[in-house]
Amino acid sequence: MVAWLTQTLEMLKAVLLPPRYFAWQTVIYMSLFSWLMSLLARTVEAMAFTVGLLATISWICLALGVGWALEANKIRPFGVSIAPWVSGAILCLFLFGSWGGRWLQPALVSWPLVSFAVVAAPKLVSWDFNLKDPPGQVRQQLALLFCLSLLFSSWFQFYFRIQTWVRDYPSLVADSVENSAFVYRFPGQTVALPAGVNHLTVAEEMLREQVHNKPWPSVERWLLNLDGQRQAMERQVKSHMGLDPSLEDSLWRIDFQPLSNGNGYILKLWAIWSGPAANQSGYYLEKSCLLMPVSQGSLGAPEAAVPEASAPEAAAPGYATTQWGSLTCDLATPRQAGHPRDIQRTG
Amino acid sequence: MPLTNLLSELGILPLRAIAFQTLLLMLAIVLEAMVLRQQLRLGYRTSMQYAATLNLLATSLGWVAFLALEAVLPLSLRSQVISYVLFNRFYLNGWREVLPVVVVVTAIAAFFVTYWIKLQGLTWLQQLLGQQPIDTNPQPVEINRRQRYEWARQGQRRGQADGQQGSSPRALAVLQANAASFTAILVLLLLVNQAGVIGW
Repeated sequence: MVAWLTQTLEMLKAVLLPPRYFAWQTVIYMSLFSWLMSLLARTVEAMAFTVGLLATISWICLALGVGWALEANKIRPFGVSIAPWVSGAILCLFLFGSWGGRWLQPALVSWPLVSFAVVAAPKLVSWDFNLKDPPGQVRQQLALLFCLSLLFSSWFQFYFRIQTWVRDYPSLVADSVENSAFVYRFPGQTVALPAGVNHLTVAEEMLREQVHNKPWPSVERWLLNLDGQRQAMERQVKSHMGLDPSLEDSLWRIDFQPLSNGNGYILKLWAIWSGPAANQSGYYLEKSCLLMPVSQGSLGAPEAAVPEASAPEAAAPGYATTQWGSLTCDLATPRQAGHPRDIQRTG
Repeated sequence: MPLTNLLSELGILPLRAIAFQTLLLMLAIVLEAMVLRQQLRLGYRTSMQYAATLNLLATSLGWVAFLALEAVLPLSLRSQVISYVLFNRFYLNGWREVLPVVVVVTAIAAFFVTYWIKLQGLTWLQQLLGQQPIDTNPQPVEINRRQRYEWARQGQRRGQADGQQGSSPRALAVLQANAASFTAILVLLLLVNQAGVIGW
């Protein structure tokens, strides 16, 4: 136990105390020291410039030291020198991390280029800030590395561009990207619902206002003017979308169709997606509602829930024989391929 | 599960594009290196380095152009691009009819722009490396009037007389290399799209 302890201490000592002054440990210590000094400067309320300068020196020393340490200890996974990449990452963290907000995008996009600068700077600039003239082979390598880092940067940029698309068209994530030749989504994620679900809810609310607990003749009359009601519903949903506008709003259409069913109707509400979709013929979401005439007695519970609506009617003669509209909607909005009107025409 | 959370936080990743592009780039670099080596009598290592640099340059400039253009496209065309990237197909809107033409014209334009970039890139690269441009039959510096008339009569362009591009062996070699890599990539893309060979 004691032997192990002394051995560990020896090892620690060897790592922490460098054999020479010109070693990576020195740079790390300089970074630590500079950071402590910047903390001290902050506590004594020195000028912002002083604090910033000390912090900057600390970050640069950290980047240099970590890079040096990786290189000195021959940490090269798969034979690739990762030191410039780590140094570049630390520098990018420092450069963009203080921005706040969406700092990740500029940081990641410039990471390969900053790493290239870390590699290129010592080969192009000598210690006394004179430009060096590196041999041809080095120049060739630098040119290759520059193009490669530009490519990596473009890939990061492409990733962020895809995220912008998803922000602009949120319903796209609800679709399958299995067929894509460009993108991949790791399986097992909860996939968001398309925005059409919300639109259907708004449409259902509007429908409920119009026909639920209304005398059946007026419901029938309401259904006569189908085109007018469709436009009214479209307007209602659009105005609701206006609260949280998105580029994809113009790609959603709201439609409905009553189908007679015994005494009453089955109302099919559709939110039709006319934008990009994985399926050849697009898709739509369907909500089925059952609209039935109900005589007063069986209405029971809903009547109690809206007494003010029914109270004046209660006094009217013939009330008991009047039939009322009753709307019940499915909660589910199953997703169907194609366009609802096409299916109706063919089937 | 933190890993799943992280992955869902990342969302849709362009991993297939990266994998596929790496594959295509390696194919293109090998093919072009072969062509450059034969046509320009370069060493194996040099031709490989040239081909790699030129292809990486053209590819990254292509990405920059795509990312810049995509941001200024009209919305209806932009959503077609999105549809193609995410779902590998175009959807039905006003552009549907003209899209095949647009794609073919873009591809042809891409071929010539890539050719120009590679030719320029080769010139820059050789200047950077401090080498003489490789021309097996160097043009005479001084051209007398008589010769110039002769050429004009034969209907040759001045570009050749200026000794820069025209049909110098370098331009021909780059053109052949570009044609070879574009053909190979086109065949591979058609195979993948037709049969779903790789299963995506």
